[in-house]
Amino acid sequence: MKTNALVWAAMFVPIAGSFLLPLAGGISKALRNLGAFLLVGTSLLCSGLLVPTVQAGTTLRISCPFLGGGQLFQADSLSVFMALVSMLVGAVIVLYSMGYISHYDNQNEYYFMVVLFLGSMMGIIYAANLILIYLFWEITAVACWRLIGFFREPLCVVRADKAFLITGFGAFVMLIGFIMVYGQYGSFDLEAIKSASTAHPVANLAVFLILFGILSKSATLPLHSWLPDAGVAPTPVTALLHAAVLVKIGVYVYARLFVATFTIDPLWNQVVPLVAGVSALVSGGAALVETDMKRIIAYSTISQLGFILLGLSIGNPLGFAGGLLYILMHSIAKGGLFLCAGVVEQKLHVKDITRLGGLIRTMPVTAVSFLLCAFSVMGIPPFGGFFSKYLVIAGSLKSGDYPIAAIFTLGAFLTVIYLFRLFAMIFLGEAKTTPVTEGAPVMVASVAFLALLSLAGGLLINYPSSYVQTTVQQILGVMP
Amino acid sequence: MTEAMLWYPIVIPALCGVAALALPRRLPDGVALLATTANLLLCLRLYGNEMNVSSPWAGFGILLELRLYHFSAFILAAAACFALLISLYSLCFMKGRAHGNQFYAYLLISLAMVNGAVLADNLLLMLFFWEGLLCTIFGFIAIGGREAFRSAIKAFVLVGVSDILMMVGMAMTGFLAGTLTISRIHLAPDSPVAGVAFLLLVMGATSKAGSMPFHSWIPDAAADAPLPFMAFLPAALEKLLGIYFLARITLDLYPLSPDSWLSPFLMTLGVVTILLAVMMALIQKEYKRLLSYHAISQVGYMILGIGTAVPVGIVGGIFHMINHAMYKSCLFLTGGAVEVQAGSTDLRKLGGIGRRMPVTFGCFIVAAAAISGVPPFNGFFSKELVYDGALERHWIFYMGALAGSFLTAASFLKLGHAAYLGKPRGEKSLSDVREAPPGMLVPMLAIAGGCILFGVANPLPINNLILPIIGPERAAGHHFAGLPQNPFLIVMTVLVLLGAWLNHVYGVRKSGSGVGASDHIHHAPVLQPIYDRAERRFFDPYDLGMKAVQGISRLAWWIDRGNDWLFNVLAVGTARFFSRTVRGLHDGSYSTYMLWVALGAILMGLYLNA
Repeated sequence: MKTNALVWAAMFVPIAGSFLLPLAGGISKALRNLGAFLLVGTSLLCSGLLVPTVQAGTTLRISCPFLGGGQLFQADSLSVFMALVSMLVGAVIVLYSMGYISHYDNQNEYYFMVVLFLGSMMGIIYAANLILIYLFWEITAVACWRLIGFFREPLCVVRADKAFLITGFGAFVMLIGFIMVYGQYGSFDLEAIKSASTAHPVANLAVFLILFGILSKSATLPLHSWLPDAGVAPTPVTALLHAAVLVKIGVYVYARLFVATFTIDPLWNQVVPLVAGVSALVSGGAALVETDMKRIIAYSTISQLGFILLGLSIGNPLGFAGGLLYILMHSIAKGGLFLCAGVVEQKLHVKDITRLGGLIRTMPVTAVSFLLCAFSVMGIPPFGGFFSKYLVIAGSLKSGDYPIAAIFTLGAFLTVIYLFRLFAMIFLGEAKTTPVTEGAPVMVASVAFLALLSLAGGLLINYPSSYVQTTVQQILGVMP
Repeated sequence: MTEAMLWYPIVIPALCGVAALALPRRLPDGVALLATTANLLLCLRLYGNEMNVSSPWAGFGILLELRLYHFSAFILAAAACFALLISLYSLCFMKGRAHGNQFYAYLLISLAMVNGAVLADNLLLMLFFWEGLLCTIFGFIAIGGREAFRSAIKAFVLVGVSDILMMVGMAMTGFLAGTLTISRIHLAPDSPVAGVAFLLLVMGATSKAGSMPFHSWIPDAAADAPLPFMAFLPAALEKLLGIYFLARITLDLYPLSPDSWLSPFLMTLGVVTILLAVMMALIQKEYKRLLSYHAISQVGYMILGIGTAVPVGIVGGIFHMINHAMYKSCLFLTGGAVEVQAGSTDLRKLGGIGRRMPVTFGCFIVAAAAISGVPPFNGFFSKELVYDGALERHWIFYMGALAGSFLTAASFLKLGHAAYLGKPRGEKSLSDVREAPPGMLVPMLAIAGGCILFGVANPLPINNLILPIIGPERAAGHHFAGLPQNPFLIVMTVLVLLGAWLNHVYGVRKSGSGVGASDHIHHAPVLQPIYDRAERRFFDPYDLGMKAVQGISRLAWWIDRGNDWLFNVLAVGTARFFSRTVRGLHDGSYSTYMLWVALGAILMGLYLNA
C-alpha cells in the first residue's frame, strides 16, 4: 500500500540515511549537510502526506508476527501530530546547525547522531508494540549520550554519562513494567492490550514502573536533574533534546500508553498532576536563581513539561487537547529560545547572564525573536502559547481540581518572571561585553522563523486546533 | 453595512500598525493619522447599529464572536476619538524623538486590541485582545529610554499576573455557565465557586482600569514612557476598557444586588483606592507622577459607583469613566506640552509659565476643575451621582469619597500654583518659554471643550449614552441628569472645595511657595513616617510580591540542589562503596575463591532442598 510506504519512509529514511552521512561527509561537507536536511525533510514530508488519511479517521496498521503480537507500527492522528511537531522543529535545528557547528570537529558524527536520533524518535512515535517502543527509546538514549558529550571535555563526558545513566535506568525500570503488562495480558501489542485492559485495568505497580521511565525521559521531578546538566552540549543539541524532541518522547508515550491505550486506575489522574505541579513549581523557582542561561532555559523546559503532563493526565478531553497543543507551541517557542541563546553563546562564549547585557542594540533580530518566543512560552496572546496554557488550566478547573489549578497559576506567574529576568539580563541594560554583530544569516533566519511561527500559531489557531480536536475525538471517543 | 464591517476596526489599525513598523522614518506619522481618522469615521458609522457576528475559531467554545450594541458602540467611538487626538498630538510630541516607528505601531496595534476587546462577545476572544495589550504596553514603556525597561517589565509582570488571574476566572465562569459567549451568561454569584470566579474577573477588570493592588506600575511608567502613551492608555483607553468590563460583569454576567456581600467589597476597594492613591498624589513634586497617582485614585470613584449596585451609583460610575478619560488625558497632554516647551516637569523647577502658555493653562484649569468636581464641569456631575449612590448605601463610603475629593482639589491647587503661577525656582530661566504648537493645542482644546460640554449639557450623554446601558427597568423612577436633587450633597461638595482652598492658602503661607502647599500634611506627625516608607516603596505590591517570589525560588533552588545531590553524590558514592567492597573480596587468592564456591554450593543446596 502506498500510504503504508509513507509510514516506513518517515521512519527508515532518516534511520538508514543517517549511516550514510559520515560517508557523504568524506566526499564533501556541503553534500553531507544537504543530505542531513533532506533526510529530515523527507521524513517531515512523508508524515505531512499522511495528514489527510489520518484526519479522515483511518488508522494505518503495519503488521507482521512479532513477539506475540501482530502489529509493528501504526499511524493515527496522534502519532502524525507528534511526528510533524518533532520533525518541523528538527528540520529548523538541522538548518541552524549548519551555521553553528561549522567551526567544530567531528561534524560527521554530529549529523549522523542527530539524524539517527530524529529517525528513532519517529520509530517511537509510530511503534504499535511495547518492545519496539523500548528499542527505539534506547537508540535515542545512545544518540543523546554521544551528542551531550560531543565536545569531549571531561565535564561534558561526566554529564553525558549522568544523562545516559538516569534515562537508561528509567528505561530499564520501564521495561520491567512492560514485562508485567505482558504477564497480565499475554501480549506486547498495543491494540491487544487496549481491548483486554478495558475489563481489567493495568496493575498499579506496572503503571508506576512505566511512569518512572517516562518521567526520567521527560525530565520531571525528581528525575530531572540530568536535563540542566546536559546544557554542556552544543546548543542545537540542547534545543533538540530539551525543547523539541527528547523530552517530548516521555509525554508522548504517556499519551500513547496511558490515555490512548491502557485503562488505568483513576487515582493516577490525581497523582500525576500533583507530581507535574510540584515539578513545575520547583523548576520554575530554580530558574529564577540560576545564572547560566542554558540552565535557566532547561529549568524552564522542566517547568513547562509539568504543564504538558498536567494537561495529558488530568483526565478530561479539554485538558488532553490543551496538552497536545502545548507540545506544539512549546516545541516551537522553546526551540526558538535555545537557538537564540545559541547565537549569543557562539558569538561571545559566555553563558553567565550576569556577565551579559545590552545585546539588543547589536543583535536586534535575535533579541526580538527571543522576546516573541518568550511571550509564547509565557502564554501571552496573540502567541500560540496563550491557547495551550488556557486549555491546560481550564482542563484542571473542569475536573474540579482547584488546588492543582492554583499551583499551575503560580507556575504561570513564575514563567513570566524568570523569562523576563533572562531577557532583561541578556539583551537589555548596559553592555558588559565587547560589541558583537548578529550571528550567521542561516542561524538568525532560523530563530526568526520560529518566532514568526509562534505568532502564527496564535493567529491561525484554528488549524492546529481543529486537528487536535479530531485527535481527541479519535482517542477518547468524545468531542471536546 | 455588512457583518464584515465589524472586523474593520480591529483589522485596519492592526495592519496599519504592522505597516508602520516597516515604513521608512516620518511616514508612520501620516499612516497613524490616516488610520485613526479612518477608524473614527468607521466607528461613527457603526454607532447606532446592533449586530452580531459569529464564526468558529479555536474550538472548545472559543468562537470569533463580536457584538455591536449601544454600550460597545459608545466605548468604540470614545476610544476612536482619543486615538485620533493622541495621534495628532504625537505628531508634534514625537518629532525628533527616537523610536517613532515603534511608537506609532504600538499606538495603532493597541487601538486594534482595545477595539477587539470591546467588540468581543466571547470571553476568550476578549481575553485574547485584552491580554495582547501587554505586548504593546511593554513596547511603549521600553522605548522611553535606556533604563525604561525596568518599568516596562514591572508593568508587564503586574498586569500579566492580573490577566492570568482573570483567565482563571473566565474559565470558571465558562464552566458554570456552560458557554463562553458573554451575552448568554447570566449567573448568580452565590456559590463559593461563582464567588471566586466573580472576584477573579473583577480583579482583572479593575486592574486594567488601574485600581489597587496592581497599580504601582503606573507612576513608574509616567516617569519613563513617552507621554502620549500615558494620555492614551492608562488615562483613557484602559479606563474605558476596565470599567466597561466591570460594568458588564456586574450588570450582565453576575448581576450584582445591593444585598450581596460583594457590593460592600467593591465599595471598600473603591474607597481604599481613592484615599491611598490620592494621599500619594498629594505629596508628589513631579507633574506626571502626580497625575498618574490621580489616574489610580479616580478609578476608585468608578468602582465605588458601580459597586453600590444602585442605579444612581452605576450611572455615576459609568459617567465618571468617560469624564475621567477626558479630563485625565487632557491633563497629561498639558503635562506633555509643558515638558516639550519648558524642558522639565519637575514642579520645583517650574513656575510662572501660565502667562507664557495661556492656552495650555486654560485647558489645565478646565480639566483640573473637572477632576476636582467643580461645577459646572463634567466631573462635578458624575461625582455627585457617585456620592448620591454611596450615601444611599452607607454614610461611611460617602465620607471616604468626600475626603478623596478634598485631597484631589488640594493637590490640583498645588499643581496649578506650582507649575503655572508664582516664579520659576530652578536655575534655568523660563522666560523664553513659548506656547505649544497648534498640533498639540488642538487635541487639548478639543478635550477641554468636551469637559465643558459634558458638564453644561450633561443630560445629553447621560440620557443618550448611559441610560441605555443600565436599561429602562433599572432606570425607571429615577432622575439622573442635572443637579442632584438632594441639596445636602451640593452643600457638602461646596464646603469641601472651600476647605481645599483654605488648606491651600494655609499651606502656601506656611511654606512660602506653591509647590510646598501640601508640606504641612506631608510632614504631619503620624503621616511623616508612613509617607517616608511609601516613598521608599515599602508598600509597593510589586516589590512585596517579588520578595515573596524570591523566597519561593530560594526554597525551590535548595530542593533542586538536594535532589541533584542524590544523583551526583549519593548515587555515585553508593556505587563506589559497593565496588570497593566487592573489589576487596577479589584478592587473587585461590583459597578465598574456593571458599566462595563452597559457600555458594551450600546455599544452593539449601535452596533446592527447601
